[in-house]
Amino acid sequence: MIIASSGDLPFGSLSAPGAGMMPKVMAALMILFAVLMIAGARESAPLAEVDWGDRNHAALVLIITGAAVAAYRPLGFLITMVLLVFCLLVIVERRNVIAAAVYSAALTLFAYWLFDKLLRSPLEPGLLWF
Amino acid sequence: METLQSLLLGFSVALQPSMLWYAFIGCLVGTLVGVLPGIGPLAGISILLPITYGLDATKAIIMLAGIYYGSQYGGSTTSILLRIPGEAASVMTCIDGNAMAKKGRAGAALCIAAVGSFIAGTFGVLVLTAVAPPLAAFALGFGPPEYTALLVLGLIFLGYMSTSSLVRTLLMAAFGLFLGTIGIDVMTGHFRYSFDINELGDGIGIVPVAVGLFGLGEILATPSHQVGSQIIRPKFRELWPNRAEWRDAGWPIARGSVLGFLIGIIPGSAHIISSFMSYALERKVSKKPEEFGHGAVAGVAGPESANNAASTGAFVPMLALGIPTGPVTAVLMAALLIHGVPPGPTLVNDHPNIFWGFVASMYVGNLMLLALNLPLVGIFVNLLRIPYAYLYPLIIMFCVIGVYEVNNSIVDVWIMLIMGAVGYALKKFSFDPAPLVLGLVIAPILEMSLRQALIMSDGHWSIFVQRPVAAVLLAASAGLLALSGIGYFSRRKDWRARMAAEAGEDA
Repeated sequence: MIIASSGDLPFGSLSAPGAGMMPKVMAALMILFAVLMIAGARESAPLAEVDWGDRNHAALVLIITGAAVAAYRPLGFLITMVLLVFCLLVIVERRNVIAAAVYSAALTLFAYWLFDKLLRSPLEPGLLWF
Repeated sequence: METLQSLLLGFSVALQPSMLWYAFIGCLVGTLVGVLPGIGPLAGISILLPITYGLDATKAIIMLAGIYYGSQYGGSTTSILLRIPGEAASVMTCIDGNAMAKKGRAGAALCIAAVGSFIAGTFGVLVLTAVAPPLAAFALGFGPPEYTALLVLGLIFLGYMSTSSLVRTLLMAAFGLFLGTIGIDVMTGHFRYSFDINELGDGIGIVPVAVGLFGLGEILATPSHQVGSQIIRPKFRELWPNRAEWRDAGWPIARGSVLGFLIGIIPGSAHIISSFMSYALERKVSKKPEEFGHGAVAGVAGPESANNAASTGAFVPMLALGIPTGPVTAVLMAALLIHGVPPGPTLVNDHPNIFWGFVASMYVGNLMLLALNLPLVGIFVNLLRIPYAYLYPLIIMFCVIGVYEVNNSIVDVWIMLIMGAVGYALKKFSFDPAPLVLGLVIAPILEMSLRQALIMSDGHWSIFVQRPVAAVLLAASAGLLALSGIGYFSRRKDWRARMAAEAGEDA
């Protein structure tokens, strides 16, 4: 894939290496190491032994965080982060809705105060005016 | 004498109230980062990197370094009291530290870990003070071939020292090196793999990759029901170890300090490897190896000293050669570069205030950490009472803010998210993500020095064997590859595999 997508990058010559040299050498090395791994596959544990018991947790956290990233600029820091923490607590952790709402609002306000006010590191305003 | 005068200059910088304040903040945050599961020093430093933009370079590096070595202290607290490593280097402390806690010696285990960390950290800074300036002077003579050879040796050494296989480690490093080539080629101006995304023109940043792999990836693989809350709470009066425990801790602390520092200089996840090696060494030399796994004092004193000495040792190549030994030192280097201070051989002469102020701050920081970690252990323990289900949303929020604030780039946050998923998958298939990050960090230096060396020699590889330093470094790389090859083809367990197996048995 790397080699295919680097068609227009010149490899150059040894005396004048081009922009494509390093990526193509790395792609070749990755293929080599992958072949070596396949050759020694018998020494590794079978794939079926991998425990995927946490996959639902991982997928939910990824989806919720992904939605928050997508909403970060349009909605801004305060709204997005309250929703992010609230959704993680309610959807992933099945916590009480009221407790989750209070916690997510308090946590986000604390983070806002810490970064925006105390550390003067401006956060995305989004829909809100501050 | 000259070193002593320079060190005095360093203390005149480090003892300024504002420097003391930032060293304290760094040590405090580092301890918190070490105590809290799911957030290691790398994620902690990366998240807090944007905060340092408003500071000068000395304050920034003093605070960030405080987080690094502070996390080594804090990591032992969760290991001993909760049997959960607060950060990866404290894995070995879980075994005997928690066994001591179950026997009612939690306070003694914490005290030995803190005192061992203090002695090892101070020893590390003393050697750093003596070694770094002459090494930097020597490295001034390095050209592109020497840097290429040194970086190749670092990668091979990382693979050799890794407790997973050499091939897996090198595959990860090659992937990291490839990721490091994304963006504009500085020598020709070609755009590489940026797919018309402007932000990728500057390349993939280390912060989103590191936070994704080590911060988010860890959270994805840790459902809250798997994090226990059986905390053993020590009483303050129980903190002091008895005479026999002090006697048992003495030599392991000394051996751990020396071993840890030496391993720390070598590229790789040195502080993690050092604690594994120290544990194996202590078990080997112990008169009562059967006690290991059941509360052996040496099983706490050795690894805790080793990981602290290693974290100090890791600063030697960073400060003297401008080469990161791991992801954490890479982020610290990035912090210096952001402030317009290039780390490397010229740092000692061009920015003596920063170099010596930083070194002196580590003496002060180690004292602060000893004072923080023992009397305040009860406060840190209380933090562990916060249910993990409430803690990790906070960590995710900080990950998003930290990554976004570096460049105000939402693309960086998407990269972090992708890397989180990659980190989760790597964990499932037992790949170590550290070589990937190291590869990403050294890719620009390696590519530049390799291409410059080839241009210098008009395309002749012989330049790498004609220059003595480069030849020695490449010979060492070849030797390590040969040793690994012998182990692979003879199908017998070498010392690394045996060490990992022994640690697994005790756990």
